[in-house]
Amino acid sequence: MPIHDQGYQRYAGSRASTGTAWQVIARAGIRTVLAERKFLALLLLAWAPFLVRAVQVYVAANYAQASFLQPKGETFREFLETQAVFVFFITIYVGAGLIASDRRANALQLYLAKPLSRWEYVAGKMAVLLTLLISVTFLPAMMLLLVQIGFAGSLTFLRANLYLLPAITLYSLAQVLLASSTMLALSSLSKSSRFVGVMYAGLIFFTGALFQAVRGITGASWLAWLSPSDALEQLGDAIFRLPLRYELPLWAAAAVVVGLIVASGVVLERRVRAVEVVS
Amino acid sequence: MSEPAARPAPLSTAAAARRVFELSFGEMLWSRRTIFMALVVGGPVLLAIIFRIVEAFGAPALRVNGARVAGGSVFGVMIWMLYIRFIVPVLGLFYGTALMADEVEDRTLTYLFTRPIPRGAVLLGKYLAYLACTSLVVLPSVMLTYFLTVPFAQVASTFRSLVLDLALLGAGLAVYGAVFAFVGARLKRPLVSGLVFAFGWEQLALALPGYLRQFTVAHHLQSLVPHTMPADSTLSAIQGLFRQTTSVPGALAALGLLLVVFLWLAMRTVARREYVLEQ
Repeated sequence: MPIHDQGYQRYAGSRASTGTAWQVIARAGIRTVLAERKFLALLLLAWAPFLVRAVQVYVAANYAQASFLQPKGETFREFLETQAVFVFFITIYVGAGLIASDRRANALQLYLAKPLSRWEYVAGKMAVLLTLLISVTFLPAMMLLLVQIGFAGSLTFLRANLYLLPAITLYSLAQVLLASSTMLALSSLSKSSRFVGVMYAGLIFFTGALFQAVRGITGASWLAWLSPSDALEQLGDAIFRLPLRYELPLWAAAAVVVGLIVASGVVLERRVRAVEVVS
Repeated sequence: MSEPAARPAPLSTAAAARRVFELSFGEMLWSRRTIFMALVVGGPVLLAIIFRIVEAFGAPALRVNGARVAGGSVFGVMIWMLYIRFIVPVLGLFYGTALMADEVEDRTLTYLFTRPIPRGAVLLGKYLAYLACTSLVVLPSVMLTYFLTVPFAQVASTFRSLVLDLALLGAGLAVYGAVFAFVGARLKRPLVSGLVFAFGWEQLALALPGYLRQFTVAHHLQSLVPHTMPADSTLSAIQGLFRQTTSVPGALAALGLLLVVFLWLAMRTVARREYVLEQ
């Protein structure tokens, strides 16, 4: 019977290259969420507007009487605006517990005791949210463009509206980055995912209500900077080359969106630490 | 042989609820959540302060189409857009869903359920504590907003409408709290369902003609508002178009019915449901 050496042995397995650990967190997070039936139902529901638009494109391409349904550049903007509702719910469903649950279970210390940097941890968590949000914004919008080309049987629409490719990419990116970074920052502030969800809903609805109230009182729409959602809408109008809906300067709208993303990064930098110093 | 000591009579539901209320009220009022609530209700007060300062300097910001905006109108807009549409549903959702979910998450439900009191009384006591706590924070903020926006000369003529506002906000907190207490007691993920109800279903139903609006809390609550409904967005313009107000007794009866039914359902759920505490 062989006697095995029970002394110290060097690890002989393969090592993941540095900087790729975030992929493990992202994969695990996405797999966990996709295993939930309720979430799959929400995801399916989020694709319903795509189906409606696809039918619209089909009818417009095949029936001359329905030519008024022809898609325009504006159609894609409206589509992404509709998807904002699903972005909101998916962000809360998936994002509220991303860091809060780890903080509640004191798992942050365990994560960061491994060969994983704080930023890899944040990147992994953010990748979960970004992937799922892109799947309901950028992906269906691009698919819609392809559906239009397919049903029309020509590239005429795409050639005439070539700006749609960068516009969809840029606006979707702004939409999902704003939602993900804000939610992650809020999630790092609390141990209760429910509280995080309410804070996020509060941020979106309260700032919106505040802006509408101020607008109702003063009649001035330049105060749209009060509401990040409205600032994003203003930015979206500019990206899609549409008339701006508010008197808010474009730089101010961009500053609100970028400022919130940067502020979220600062919050994450301060809150995601292996050791919490309690005074 | 001495007779065994007589067991004390079990507490009635009302007496037990009072004990739970006494325990929960202090906990609820002096918690971090009250800071969140104070921030939310501080928004209108801050806006009112800015209004008062701007008005004191006679700035043109408060003139729409050249006409000066009256303080009473400003107060009306704030009641509609900040309190009725946002603060009351969000606080109802936040606290209502937390009544049982907090105890489950903190794994402290066992301590309450092992007391010799009816299980339903636990929810009832916590619900009453929520109502007292939110009323104590929300209603003074309405008073402050009122006295900051409405000039003293108009106080006598508009005081009745202030009392009405306070009563209907109290009713709103009570009914939304009962609805969300049931949602929190019944569902595992109450926040997303609650948000869908408050900011999805209710907004949609109010914009549709027919009887669907009868199945919302907002419709009955809005029937009691003494101020003109502002049309700040497309959705609220559509809601205004299809707006049918119920008579005051009808609205009060509907709100009372919703309150009793949902509170009873919530108590029944707590009494019958087996809560599994996650390890």
